[in-house]
Amino acid sequence: MKRYVLKRIVQIIFTMYIFATIVFFIVALKPGDISQVYIENQRIPPEAREALKQRLGLDQPLHIQYGNFLRNLIIGNLGISHSNYPRPVWDIIRERLPRTATLFLAATLIYFAMAYYLGKLIAWRRGGWLDYSATITGVTLWTIYSPWFGLLLIWIFGFKLGWLPLGKFLDPLLWRKYEVGANEVFHQMLLVGGGAVVFLLGVFLVGRRLRLPPRARLAFHLGAVALVLGGLGYLLTNTLYGLLARDILWHMVLPVVTLTLIGFGGYMLLMRDSMLEVVKEDFVLAAKAKGLPDKVVRDKHAARNALLPLVTSFALALAFVVDGGVIIERVFSWPGMGLTLLEAVDQKDLPLAIGTFVFTGLFAVLAHFLVDLLYAYLDPRIRYD
Amino acid sequence: MTEAASLRPLESPWHARLRLWRRSLAANWELFKESKIGLIGLFIIAFFGLLSISHPILMATVWDRQVYDPVHGFDWEVIKAGGQNPAPPSLRHLLGTDPWGRDVFSQLAYSARTEFFLGVMAALITVIIGTFVAAISAYYGGFVDTFFMRTADVMIMFPPIAFLILLSAIFPLSLWSFVLVLGVLYGFGTITIVLKSQALSIQVKPFIEAAKVSGGSSLHVIFSHIIPNLLPLSFLYMMFNVTNAIFSEAVLSFFGVINVNMSWGLMVQMAYEAGYLTGAGITQAWWLFFPASLSITALCAAFYFVGRGLDEIVNPRLRKI
Amino acid sequence: MALLEVRHLTLHYRTKRGEVNAVDNVSFTLERGEALGIVGESGCGKTTLALAIMRLLPENAYLEGQIFFKERDLLALPEEEMRRVRWKGISMIFQAAMNSLDPVYRVGEQIVEAMRTHEPTISPEAARERVAELFQLVGMSPDLIDRYPHEMSGGMRQRAVIAMALASNPDVIIADEPTTALDVIVQDRILAQLDEIRKRLDMSVIYISHDVGVIAEVSDRVGVMYAGKLVEIGPTAAIFKSPHHPYTAALMSAFPRLHGEKQELLIVPGEPPNLLSPPPGCRFHPRCPYATELCQKQEPLLEPFESTHLAACWHPLLQKRETLRARAG
Repeated sequence: MKRYVLKRIVQIIFTMYIFATIVFFIVALKPGDISQVYIENQRIPPEAREALKQRLGLDQPLHIQYGNFLRNLIIGNLGISHSNYPRPVWDIIRERLPRTATLFLAATLIYFAMAYYLGKLIAWRRGGWLDYSATITGVTLWTIYSPWFGLLLIWIFGFKLGWLPLGKFLDPLLWRKYEVGANEVFHQMLLVGGGAVVFLLGVFLVGRRLRLPPRARLAFHLGAVALVLGGLGYLLTNTLYGLLARDILWHMVLPVVTLTLIGFGGYMLLMRDSMLEVVKEDFVLAAKAKGLPDKVVRDKHAARNALLPLVTSFALALAFVVDGGVIIERVFSWPGMGLTLLEAVDQKDLPLAIGTFVFTGLFAVLAHFLVDLLYAYLDPRIRYD
Repeated sequence: MTEAASLRPLESPWHARLRLWRRSLAANWELFKESKIGLIGLFIIAFFGLLSISHPILMATVWDRQVYDPVHGFDWEVIKAGGQNPAPPSLRHLLGTDPWGRDVFSQLAYSARTEFFLGVMAALITVIIGTFVAAISAYYGGFVDTFFMRTADVMIMFPPIAFLILLSAIFPLSLWSFVLVLGVLYGFGTITIVLKSQALSIQVKPFIEAAKVSGGSSLHVIFSHIIPNLLPLSFLYMMFNVTNAIFSEAVLSFFGVINVNMSWGLMVQMAYEAGYLTGAGITQAWWLFFPASLSITALCAAFYFVGRGLDEIVNPRLRKI
Repeated sequence: MALLEVRHLTLHYRTKRGEVNAVDNVSFTLERGEALGIVGESGCGKTTLALAIMRLLPENAYLEGQIFFKERDLLALPEEEMRRVRWKGISMIFQAAMNSLDPVYRVGEQIVEAMRTHEPTISPEAARERVAELFQLVGMSPDLIDRYPHEMSGGMRQRAVIAMALASNPDVIIADEPTTALDVIVQDRILAQLDEIRKRLDMSVIYISHDVGVIAEVSDRVGVMYAGKLVEIGPTAAIFKSPHHPYTAALMSAFPRLHGEKQELLIVPGEPPNLLSPPPGCRFHPRCPYATELCQKQEPLLEPFESTHLAACWHPLLQKRETLRARAG
């Protein structure tokens, strides 16, 4: 396992390097350079333009520029955003990346779990009305034109029913009353949420070690979950940060629901197909022959093995998942990487556009790495390759 | 075998191949027909095919270019009759007009052709690259293989839509360059990984060995033995790539980062920009965005359906006994 | 009453192309401690028969008849009770035993799982100790308990599967082609071990194989199946010495003996029939050198020749082996 992880880390660094290189050369291929932007502006004299070129290092040969680009990337020096002058690009990315990641993670976990669970059920009861309607729903959700779908959901839940906000990250009217920054609250949310997850994982691991009888173990786990939920509930209802965090969470609901719906259909169908393949395997028959209850055969043996192709195709489709995020961020005005990229492109803010894209890509690469590790954990055959 | 039969002149190899191909086409059609979902897909594709063919014919015969041109048309009749643009569907304008007075049905039909073109072209580029790269990396192995597989690892990390958005900041993105970039991006990505594993399993078959032993050159083996056997699977992936390409164009048009004179995505974008897709506006002129959105979903689903129907032919393990 | 008794078992698969009559009116018994061999060509319904006894058939299978196990009709049991019979009463070693281990769990865990399903009170530690004992019983080092299936050789996996079949002390083990995928030497050793374990633990085993050699080596009695029918059944020695059904005779002679005089191989010309539309009368008649009009029209029933030796044939071979050989040659 250790060797596998090391190998993967080397690969990931290589992938990131190639990724950055491609981006650099595509930008370098651009006809003309940044100073061209000011060519129409009569008030900028040619000398000033030359000076600008020099200051940006654009007069240097390509390989020096390339070296500078890589060095700057590593130290996080991505230049200054034109449209948010004088904010450094890195500063903007540092603010936006966690927002994208949160949205992405929440939606992905939910729809993956749903797809796994429902796909498993419909495959086990193949051919019924449940199977047909699930297949149709799955394909429709998978191919639906997502910008339109997002807007439709906003109209229904935000405008018509008024249950949920119409978009954006927070409600400015509420926040104006308090002198707290959105980032501060959001970072606290991430810390508390992350802490809760780590705590629950720890409890789960300890519970496995303790070898309690099943009843006691369940009680132990439920107790821990109740404790965490109680604590979170207290924080959310009784503190100022909790109030503001609730506002952010409130704004997260609809984008997460939309991402979940558009992502979930395809994976549910995939889980169904994968399950139908696994069911034909001898070990599933053997598990039945062993006299295991139907549910154990389904969950512990069939579904557990059917999960493997699901994770593989998720890894292969990660880039699309990130793309889906870009679409939804735009539709919901969620200030993450996707919206930033679009705005940067809209305002011809090249440094910001490049920085956002490179880090969106790196985010995909990292997520891919994590999915790879998850796969290695799930499939013992891979660990020793 | 009778005397007469053995004396019959031998068929030319091409003739034989064509005959076999026809026979397998018939057999495969029988299999494909069993998949309802595939037939539905084919039906939808045929519908949009007819729609896109109908547009130039209608333009040349029934429709007045001044009124019905999808980009420059304008109908004074609507104004004379005291109407306003966007006008609701009527006999004169089957799907109404857009805020600039252009016929929505004409736009829809005109765009269908664009969608077919860009979808099929991008998928074709992808599949040609993917098949070729898969065949040579399976055949040569070693460095060539490592190189292309690592490239694929990088390519699958490129979020295509985000990448095209970035590109649009650097180059003006025409429909052609969109098709080319998307095709190339996918061509070196997932499809090579999938096709290569298939090529590897073809390569161990005895006829490849036989072709090598009988002195076939590398190129001969790749082109006449490996690639023909990859084609069914390539064709299957082509269907899924058409779906991807149409969807990507629709999204990029919606973001307004692609230069295209008319497409379904652009139709939705124009409705959005004009405020007919947000808030109360959504109830005012459904014909501006609903037919276009539905067409995108339907055509994407149709190619996906055909892909699933083909899947049962190409992947024998899924075949029902 | 016998430990296991199959009475008039008939089984159809409903497929798109029609009904497949995979097992037709099969009856036999199995006593405690006995080893019964079922032999026949592939596709003759042996495996289907085994799965029918375990009630593990796909949904398109339709059964008639009775299967009595410890005086209860398995086909009439509710699913939940049948589940308890599986493995506790009748366990199974699958054809392609290699694939009957789940690739994502350790082999030991999978055996413990079988044990604890039927004896929930046994502690994980005690179960693990039992697995170690079972491993030793089948001739494997207990160190292999924590291995994954893919970390084992074919022979090891085979032994692990046998250990798993023994895990809950079943009364009957059905061994469906238990050693097909292995090389001859390993095959022999595993068979010998399985036979020894059976004798030691006083279990009953049903061996299912296309390989007459395997069956001959380990069975007390042999049943011969052809095209979904049991055509002959009797003590191993009697079957080998004087087969009555021409098909049995051909099958026996196709088996080159390791010990004893060399024999010519008799090969039955033709193919086994398509079970979608089996031939009328005796199902073997299109391939049988002795077939008459009677064979084409009327189905022969299983009748006793000696007290325990039964065959279903209108023209049973009594001492006709020489003639058969002459004709086939």
